Amino acid sequence: MVLFKLFLLFIKIGFVGFGGGYSIITMIQKELIALGWITAEEFANIAAISQMTPGPIAVNAATYVGYRVGGFWGSLLATVGVSIPSFILVILAAHFIMKVKESKALEACMKGIRPVTVALIASAFIFFSYESFVDLTMPLYINPGAFAIFVLAILASVLLKMDTILIIILSTVLGLVIL
Amino acid sequence: MNKSKAKVLWELFLTFFKIGAFTIGGGLAMIPIIEKEIVDKKGYIGKEEIVDAFAVAQSLPGVVAINSSIYVGYRVAGMIGALVTVFGVVLPSFIIILLIAVLFKAVSGNLIIDKALTGAKAGIAGVIATVVVRLGKQIIKDVFAAVLAVIAFILAFVFDVNIAVIIILGALTGLVFYRLRRLKDNGSV
Repeated sequence: MVLFKLFLLFIKIGFVGFGGGYSIITMIQKELIALGWITAEEFANIAAISQMTPGPIAVNAATYVGYRVGGFWGSLLATVGVSIPSFILVILAAHFIMKVKESKALEACMKGIRPVTVALIASAFIFFSYESFVDLTMPLYINPGAFAIFVLAILASVLLKMDTILIIILSTVLGLVIL
Repeated sequence: MNKSKAKVLWELFLTFFKIGAFTIGGGLAMIPIIEKEIVDKKGYIGKEEIVDAFAVAQSLPGVVAINSSIYVGYRVAGMIGALVTVFGVVLPSFIIILLIAVLFKAVSGNLIIDKALTGAKAGIAGVIATVVVRLGKQIIKDVFAAVLAVIAFILAFVFDVNIAVIIILGALTGLVFYRLRRLKDNGSV
């Protein structure tokens, strides 16, 4: 029963998963924590590992979460589930590519969806802040070491145009050294 | 199945397995690699069509890497091609993550791992903050988009409304808003 529910959940995420990796990660996080299948801390760890290992972030997270909820079969069903909507929608789109490109209704829908995905990615930012430098139990306390890493990561990205994966690896090393 | 088709499928599998195994960071990082392997090296798909493929992959829901691999696989070898490319692109993640999941159980709670992961999460918060600003500049260009983003954020964060519901509401709002605006523009002519 849990496996079936997990499968349906990832099919749903596949259908509404607009906006790429970070947006999909927010969806997985909200659904699974609400169900009590995983704790916020564990999910944050999974998401962090998903970005340091090869492969798409969302697939990595789905595989990991699936494994934690239902072992090997859980990870298989989560990955297959999140891919099924893609099969249907991409193959339809491949056939109707010209119509898809010129559809005014679709473009209007996308204009409504894109701002929502920005909001979802902003939620992912808040989630990771809470799991690193902000402490929920002490509202005004900010972990200085983790906050320094956060600021350095922004500087590395904006000023040095450093590659994302390199930033995350350096942040991990810094965490080991200064935290 | 004849020999040449089996060979094409095997090549598709290998190509996408390589793409899955060697791109860290996901969808957008994969795009130049897919282009190099599929268009430049193998010539499976023309330069113009791959642009369409990526546009479709990014605007549809779902994982960008999965969407792109289905598009290319389907175009080159039909339904079975799409199955082969998805299997190829997902398999490396699957193997690596399962190994990590098993190992991680053994080391979780370890203080050193905790420190490293806290560092990683702080870094990711920084990266996502820059993504939010960059995408925000790109997408939120008018009052309509700004209002929608704020409302979506409040619904998700304060009221804990299901994300699927928020996405569908966003789509409907866009549809109604732009339809009304078009009617108004037509009416005033």
